[in-house]
Parts: sequence; C-alpha cells; structure tokens
Amino acid sequence: MPNKKDDVYGDHISAKFNDELTELKTQFLNMGGLVESQVEQALQALVDSDGQLAEQTRLKDKVVDEMETNLDEEAILVIARRQPTARDLRLVISVIKMVADLERVGDEAKKIAKMAIKLTEEGQAPRGYVEVRHIGTHVLSMLHDALDAFARLDADQALRVMKEDKRVDEEYQAAARALLTFMMEDTRNISRCMMVMWVLRALERVGDHACNIAEHVIFMAKGEDVRHTPMEEAERVVGR
Amino acid sequence: MSINQNIPNVAEKPNEAPMTKQAAALAVEAKREDIIVEEGKTVGLPYSDNPKFKLRNVEVFYGEDRAIKDISLDIARNEVISFIGPSGCGKSTFLRCLNRMNDSIDICRVKGQLMLDDVDIYHSKRDVVELRARIGMVFQKPNPFPKSIYDNVAYGPRIHGLANRKSDLDEIVENSLRKAGLWNEVKDRLDATATGMSGGQQQRLCIARAIAVSPEVILMDEPCSALDPIATAKVEELIAEMSESYTIVIVTHSMQQAARVSHRTAYFHLGHLVEVNETDKVFTSPEHELTESYITGRFG
Amino acid sequence: MTDQRSQAEIVRQSLKRRYRKERRFRLYGMTAIVIALASLFILFADIIGKGYTGFIKTTITLEVTLDSEAMYLDDPTDADQRSMADFNAPIINALSDLIPGVENRAAQRELSRLVGSYGASQIRDMLRANPELLNTTQTMTFLAHDRVSVYVKHADNPNYSIRLSEQQQAWVDELVEKGVIETSFNDVLFSSGDSREPSNAGILGAVVGSLLTMVVTLVIAFPVGVAAAIYLEEFAPQNRFTDFIEVNINNLAAVPSIIFGLLGLAVFIGLFGMPRSVPVVGGLVLALMTLPTIIISSRAAIKSVPPSIREAAEGIGASKMQVVLHHVLPLAMPGMLTGSIIGMAQALGETAPLLLIGMVAFIVEIPDGFFSSATVLPVQVYLWATSAEQGFIELASAGIMILLTFLISMNALAIWLRKRLERRW
Repeated sequence: MPNKKDDVYGDHISAKFNDELTELKTQFLNMGGLVESQVEQALQALVDSDGQLAEQTRLKDKVVDEMETNLDEEAILVIARRQPTARDLRLVISVIKMVADLERVGDEAKKIAKMAIKLTEEGQAPRGYVEVRHIGTHVLSMLHDALDAFARLDADQALRVMKEDKRVDEEYQAAARALLTFMMEDTRNISRCMMVMWVLRALERVGDHACNIAEHVIFMAKGEDVRHTPMEEAERVVGR
Repeated sequence: MSINQNIPNVAEKPNEAPMTKQAAALAVEAKREDIIVEEGKTVGLPYSDNPKFKLRNVEVFYGEDRAIKDISLDIARNEVISFIGPSGCGKSTFLRCLNRMNDSIDICRVKGQLMLDDVDIYHSKRDVVELRARIGMVFQKPNPFPKSIYDNVAYGPRIHGLANRKSDLDEIVENSLRKAGLWNEVKDRLDATATGMSGGQQQRLCIARAIAVSPEVILMDEPCSALDPIATAKVEELIAEMSESYTIVIVTHSMQQAARVSHRTAYFHLGHLVEVNETDKVFTSPEHELTESYITGRFG
Repeated sequence: MTDQRSQAEIVRQSLKRRYRKERRFRLYGMTAIVIALASLFILFADIIGKGYTGFIKTTITLEVTLDSEAMYLDDPTDADQRSMADFNAPIINALSDLIPGVENRAAQRELSRLVGSYGASQIRDMLRANPELLNTTQTMTFLAHDRVSVYVKHADNPNYSIRLSEQQQAWVDELVEKGVIETSFNDVLFSSGDSREPSNAGILGAVVGSLLTMVVTLVIAFPVGVAAAIYLEEFAPQNRFTDFIEVNINNLAAVPSIIFGLLGLAVFIGLFGMPRSVPVVGGLVLALMTLPTIIISSRAAIKSVPPSIREAAEGIGASKMQVVLHHVLPLAMPGMLTGSIIGMAQALGETAPLLLIGMVAFIVEIPDGFFSSATVLPVQVYLWATSAEQGFIELASAGIMILLTFLISMNALAIWLRKRLERRW
C-alpha cells in the first residue's frame, strides 16, 4: 500500500536517488505528452486534410525515438547505481517497458500522419472520418488517463483505462464494419477506405498500448502483474 | 516475480549526500512516529508447516528495556531465512536468543516459547552446551582462535568428544573444510596459524569450525560485514550450498545479500517483527509500508 | 572571494600561534626527558664510579717457607698443636725477606699487618688439608689488609682517609713496585658470604637468600593472584560484594610495604611461630605485597582478551571452564607473566618489610634451604652502607650494581616474554 500521507514517491535518504527517480518519471511524462500531442496532431491533420501539419507530426517521431533511448539509458543507470527494490524497482522496470509502448504509439501516430498526407493528396474526404474522430478522441483520452494514472500512481484510474479498451475494441469493430459496407457500395473507394481502415487500426493499437501502460501502473501500485489475467482478477487486485 | 535476481549487484549501495542528512533524519523521525506497528501482528507468512524453530510470543528485556516485542515466527527446516532491519531493531538480539548467547548478559531476560524441534530451548534443565553443539554460530567479525587452521576446526569435535581417533578427527577436519570450500586453499598448510589468513578465508574457516560439530542450524550474525565483495560472494555461494543440509538464519545489513541468499526475509523494526515473506515478494512488492520504506532506502 | 581570502588570512595568523604553542609544548616534554635522563645518568655514574673498585681485590703473593720450627708445629694433623702454633710466622719471614732491614718485633708486626687478618688461617687450613707440605716452600696469594687495599686503590681519593703509617706506605709502595702487591678481579665478592672484613666480604649469601625468597614469593603469589583474577573477571557475579573486594584489592596495592612487614611479624612469626630471618617468611610477606599487583595486571590481561574469541568458543559449545582454560588463559598469559615479573622485581628490591622479620641479621653462611637464616640483596646493601669500615663503601655500591643488574634482567625477561608469547588476533 502506498503511503497516503506522502508524495507517492516519498523521500529517500539519498536525495540523489530521489532526484534520479523523479527525473525518470518527469521524462517519461514528457515523452507521454509529446506522443499524445503527436496522435492528436495526426488526427487533426487527417480530419482537416492538412498536409503540412501531417508532415510536422511525422518529423516529431525522431524526437520521440531519441527520448526513448535516453529514458532506457537513464533507467539502466538507476538500476546499476542504486539496485532499486520494491516500489522503486517496479517503477524503473515499468518505465522501461512503458517507454516501448509509448514509442509504438509514436509509430502509430506517424502511420496516421502518413495516411493523412496520402489522403490529402487524393483530395476528397472519404467516409469514415466521423468514426476516426470518435475513436481518436476516445483513444486519446485513454492515453491521457493512463499517463495521468501513472503520474498519480492511481490504480483505480488505470483499471478504468483497461475497461475503456474493451469499448474501443467494440467501436473499432463497428467502424470497420461500416467502412466495409461503404467499400462494397462503391469499389472505387476501396483504396482510400483501406487507408482510413489503417488509421482506425492504428488508433485501436494506440488504445492497446494505453491499456498496457495502465496494466503497468497497476503493477507499480499493487505489485501484481495483471497483464494476462481476466478483468475480474485485475479488479480484485485493485480493490485490495 | 523474480526480476530482482537478475539485477547485477555490482557494489554495495553507496552512502549519500551529507546535505540531506538532516532532512532525511527529520523525515525518518516523522515516519517512525506516524507509523505505529501493532504488537504481535506480523504481516506475511510467519508460520510454516514444517518448523525447525517454533517461536511464540518471544519477548526480550534488557533490564527494564523491552528489546523484542512479542514476536512469533516459525523457521522451517533447511530454509535460509534472513533478518533485516535498521540498526537497533533487535534482529541480532533475536538471533542470539536462538542459541542462548544472551545468557552471558546478566540483565538480559527472555520470555515466551522458543522451541527447537518441539523442545523448549529455555527449559531450565536444558543444557546450553548441547544446544550450541546443535546450533552453530558465525559472527560478524571473523574470529578464528589464534591457533593452527587444523586446531580451529578440530576444536569443537575435540571438546564434544566426537572423534576418538586421530584419523576420525582428520576426516572431520577435511570434510568441514571441504564443505566450507576452503580445503584446496589450505590443505598444504593446516599447521599454519589461522590469523594469518585473509578475512574471507578466516570467515570461511569460522564456518568450517561451526559445521565441524555437525549442527542442524547455523546462525550467522552479519557474516560478511567485514569482508570485501569477492569474499562476500564466496561466503554467499557457500550459504547457498549449505542450505541443502542445514537450516540457516542470517542477520544482514545488506539488503541485496538478503535478496540473494535467503528463501524468506523477516523485517524487524524497533523490536517488532513487521513482515515475513518470501524473499522474492519482499524485494519486489512488500506488504507492509515500513518494509517498503526500509528496503527502498527511505529510512534505516 | 574576499571573505574567503580574509578567512585564509585569519587561519594563517592563528597557524603561527598554534605552531608556536606546539613547539613550546614539545620543548617542555624534551626538557622533562632530559632532566629524567640526566638524573638517571648522574645516579648511575655515581654508583658505578664508587662501586667499580668493589670488583677489584688487592692481593699479596708471597713465597712462604712453612718452617715447622718457626711455627712451633710438628704435626699439622694434631688439633692441639694447631691451636698453639704461630701461623703468622711464615708470612712475617717472607715479608722480611722481601724488605730487608726490618729487625725489631714491633716493626715486623707492623709489616705483617699488610696481609689481611685471615692470612694465618689460610696457611693453617692449607696445612690441615695437606700435612705433607710442612717444611716446604709454597707460593701463596693472600688478600691484602683492607687498609692496604684502600691505600692501593684510593691513595689519591680525598673521600678516603689512609690509615697506614708512613713506614707502611713506603713498604706498600716498594711491594707494589716489586709486583708482590697486585690488583685483580674480585672473585671473593661472588663466592662467599658476608664478613666483618671488607676484603673477605661477598654477596653470594644475599643472592642465594634473594633467590630462595623469590621462589617462595612466586610459588605463592602467582597461582593465587591468577586464580583470584580469573574468578573476579570470569565467574564472580557483579554485585556490591565483588565491588567491595575490587576496591580493597586496589587499596592493598597502595599500602606501604612496611605494613606487610608488621603483618608478617605478627602473623607468621608471632602467631604461627615460624623462625625469624628465613626465606620462607620473607617470601610469604613479599607474596602478600605483590599479590595486588599480580591480580590487577592479570585482570587487565584477561580483560584485553577480545570478546570475539570468547564468543567463538561459547558459540561452538565450550563450557565456561573450557572457554577460560583453552582460550582466555593462553591469550592472557603473556600479560599475566609480565605483571608478575614486574611485581617480583618490585619485591626483589624491597627492604622495609624484611627488616621487621629479622632478615637484617649478620649471616656469614650461605643459606642452604628455605628455613636457614638468610639475608637478601637490598638488605645486604643496607648493611654494608651502614658499616664503619671504609672498604664497605665500595662494596655497597657494587651491591647496588648487582641488584640493578638483577632488576634490569628481570624487566628484560618480562619484555622478552611478552614479545615472545604475545599472539595477534
């Protein structure tokens, strides 16, 4: 149980260790923020058919990659220097893993941006943007909540994010079916619809990664791995 | 969840920044005052189905001072259990109750039930000498007798009359030294004085001396605190090997050591036994917040 | 930065003062050591300067004709004849031959006095042992008379007064020139007991007496002291009674030694009726006196045995007795021995308590057992220092030198033992 009276990552005897962990956390949240805005901008570019914005978004991926490398390095150094245990160990290990998730989210954003550029070049806005906008907002809020849960080490919120993922999946299924019908209606739209489909697929992946992050947050807070367990198990762990 | 064991343990955790000491001390004080440990309520898995030691409601007094406060614990057969905790938490005192090393301190009183194989350790008719032949002890500082290597190991069997012939004694000495992983290093100089050996060798000699009387339990009071990392690694290796045939209780200040060598870890705090759990559990997700704070270096 | 510079300035200024202080302090220490060394040097120089002549004897070598007529002696085996005989005659004749012109009896008597008073008995003893030497001529070496000895050794020393007549001085000078009077190493000092005659006095009796006394002291004080120390350190409970005992042992170490003499007189001689002046009583008294020293040093030695060794032995299942006998005692032994030897050295130099139990008597015989009358080295020195004869002055100093040699060698033994037996842990 985390000490409610203190900051979640309370004071170590070694202030330097404290600083290192705080730095790790801050950097991770920064990276999260960057990735979040990347997804947001990619969606914006897509919906608004803004090729320039899409290009910018694509280039941001380099920064994200760099941040990933830095964070991994930082985490490895903390392990080598401090041999963290318990809560600290879980934080460091989770950060290493969540960083990979964030990087993938960045990749998905890049993919969306690429599609946005292509679709913009093709001109006319096809069907399916409503679904994209809808699922996009949903997924973005999931990502945001997951990062927020991480910042506050809030297992309850993390659990909510996990549950959201189920709904995103359902929404994705529905949207995919709608697009399929649209493609069958007019075969000329197939190539463009496929692109929208990929965007949807990418967004669904972002949701999965947000869900992964939430699972790691629960691991950090509760010390139990809920990754490949049924939802009831996760509920039990969080409810403890 | 054994992530912990894959972590390279390059060095002991270095002591840090003097500037934060005061702040840290204040924080520690605040924490200690805030957190009240409920007496006799140990979190985790203090009991065992197959106990070697069965300790119930143990209390130790130094004069008026209550050094150990209502501790109940089982120590299983052939398990390695480590006692950790900040200085003065009573872990050494508790360890020394197990072979009645506290007897020689006049003002020290032990209350409660301490059973070794269902026989009371502190029974008035119980012979301390017999008890200590069954429970070997290794101390913080290597303390070989200023005699030859051979005589050090042979001392215990001699006083207990375990070997009648010289050849038997030679065999015991060789076996003990082999078990302690020291035979190859010293077989050519058994007559050399033990105090001339390196610190790590001396400590392993002390272990050999302890196992020469074939005890069932070995108590280790911070056995590596005076050793360099290589010697420490050798002793830890030895502990792992010995755990097949002995029950080992080890008090240590090095949490990494506890994490490396022991099956279960017990966390002591101001005379309370706060938590006992599988070592893997303690070092990845301890149940009690005091344990967590201590092992993550938030006080201690 | 300015702040720092001024701070450095302050430090530099105070540094000078500190170094001055340090130098001054060193100077005090060195002065103290110089004073101590100088006193020691003066003391030694004085003693050696006065005493070295004690190791030199003056002898007169004569060709004596053992003429039976001159001695009125026909049969040297006959005790009656021996007691009547004049054994001085051969000496007078021999000397007269060497110095012609001494005719009258008074002058001859003066001349014969150059030889010590035991010269005649030396001839008597020789003839009794070897009667066949009668009527032969023998070369014999006699100890010169004390006064001759003083004249030969100290003619120029204003501290000595020459008690020889002008005539005698001339004779002595002549005899020295002829090589009849010679000086050589004083073996008498080491081979005989006390005597009224300085030339014949030796210290062997006192040395033997001291050794016998020390044996008694060691045999009693060491085991008792060590046993007491072990009990107090290892077994005794910590309570008021043992505290009381401890305080009293410390007090006992500070009691003036003469009190122990009174105790010995009252208890051993008065109560138990032991004889006076014997090494046993002396040894008992000195044992009582050294006991506190031995107990205190033994306890310190036991305390200095590291507790880790005790723990190691206890942890392996050794009983209390085994811990003490196998581990504590061997490790404490060097310290105990050192303490004991220093206590013994103290006892060896002790005079006061022995005066009270009668070990101050004049004893010629070399003691042959613990119950024969004896004296000890420091008392012998005291006796000689208070004697009237001039020859005893140098003997007293020589005695002090011998005593010091004993003390120094005992201390050296203590140091050697400690170095030898000390084990490192």
